[in-house]
Amino acid sequence: MVRFLACVLLVAACGKGDGAAGSAGAGGPRDAVIAAWKKGGLAPSTFTAATVPAGKDCQSGTVGAVDVLLCVYPTADAAKAAVDSGYVWVGEGTGAAQASGTVLIAIADRRKSDPSGRTINQLMKLAPK
Amino acid sequence: MRSIYLVLVLVIAASVQSASAGKKQVRYVGIHPVPRSEGGGLCYIEGPHVHIFAANKIEYRDHRDRNYFVGDPVAYGYDGPRHAYKGHHPIHVHAVVGDDQEDVEYCYLDGPHFHSFEPAPAIEADFKVAGDAYFYVGEPAPAYIEARPAMIKVNAVYAPIEYSRPVVEVEPPSGWIGLSVGVPAVVVVDPRPVVVAPVIVAPRIRTGVEVHVPVPSLSVEFGIGGGGHVRGGGGGHGKWKGKKWKRR
Repeated sequence: MVRFLACVLLVAACGKGDGAAGSAGAGGPRDAVIAAWKKGGLAPSTFTAATVPAGKDCQSGTVGAVDVLLCVYPTADAAKAAVDSGYVWVGEGTGAAQASGTVLIAIADRRKSDPSGRTINQLMKLAPK
Repeated sequence: MRSIYLVLVLVIAASVQSASAGKKQVRYVGIHPVPRSEGGGLCYIEGPHVHIFAANKIEYRDHRDRNYFVGDPVAYGYDGPRHAYKGHHPIHVHAVVGDDQEDVEYCYLDGPHFHSFEPAPAIEADFKVAGDAYFYVGEPAPAYIEARPAMIKVNAVYAPIEYSRPVVEVEPPSGWIGLSVGVPAVVVVDPRPVVVAPVIVAPRIRTGVEVHVPVPSLSVEFGIGGGGHVRGGGGGHGKWKGKKWKRR
């Protein structure tokens, strides 16, 4: 019985991370954004947890040489409302921020590696609407 | 010695402050040129985005607190899809950038030039195509007339730029804005015999022109050099809100 309960708890604990609304789990909204970029021919890096004021469920990574932040919110409206905080994360440089469903996408070209903005444009256009 | 340190600290603090103050985000939407001081060329980001350089007042218009470029991107090296126009014309910015904030602005480039967009479907009928170029033949809004004296200065920006402008060698279609619109003049209509006395003023010669309206006149309209005229209603396309032309 104890073993059974332990198994149930273990499964529940594992399931919680993947199933929580808007989490970073496989098949979540953040993965959908990354998958859309890959499908469009871009090569996103691995995204890792980021502690930023923009949100509680955020991960950052790179695409090409531009920095990308992906934060997941409970609702699409909450993601839209967070766009300004995305621009705060962009900081002093070229960048963009937009909501893609429940995901806030913020992109910053801190290394000036995308002077024509084509990578940023692709990232924004390929993201699911 | 202590005072030297104090001066150094103050100088460093002042320089840091001025550096950070000069890096304020400036909001843009749509493609636009990048200043030479920032590397030059074109920024191809079509949606909302930010840079830390300013936009000038003559090639950009305000759209939802963002700078929207209304000039010719090819002059700055744009290599994307392009469409030829000749003369002044309206731009439905909301249609180009794909949002719902209605905003009609005007391009004041005189001769053949390019844009990255075709006329929006809502105003397609007000354009005629001749020689593979779009000619605006609609009725210009009061906002266009009002801003014209200031905005035609944009042509001085493009005159020295060497680039492949579109070659448009056809006769402009009738009603083309370049043939019909001069500067505002007064049309006086007398009721007895129907007398229309347009005061024709050559384009760009505005200063020093005085128009005296006789006391018994019945109506005063904005007349147009060359025989055309501008209706106060702007051709039935919308209503004029302040300096912006809003479609109904």
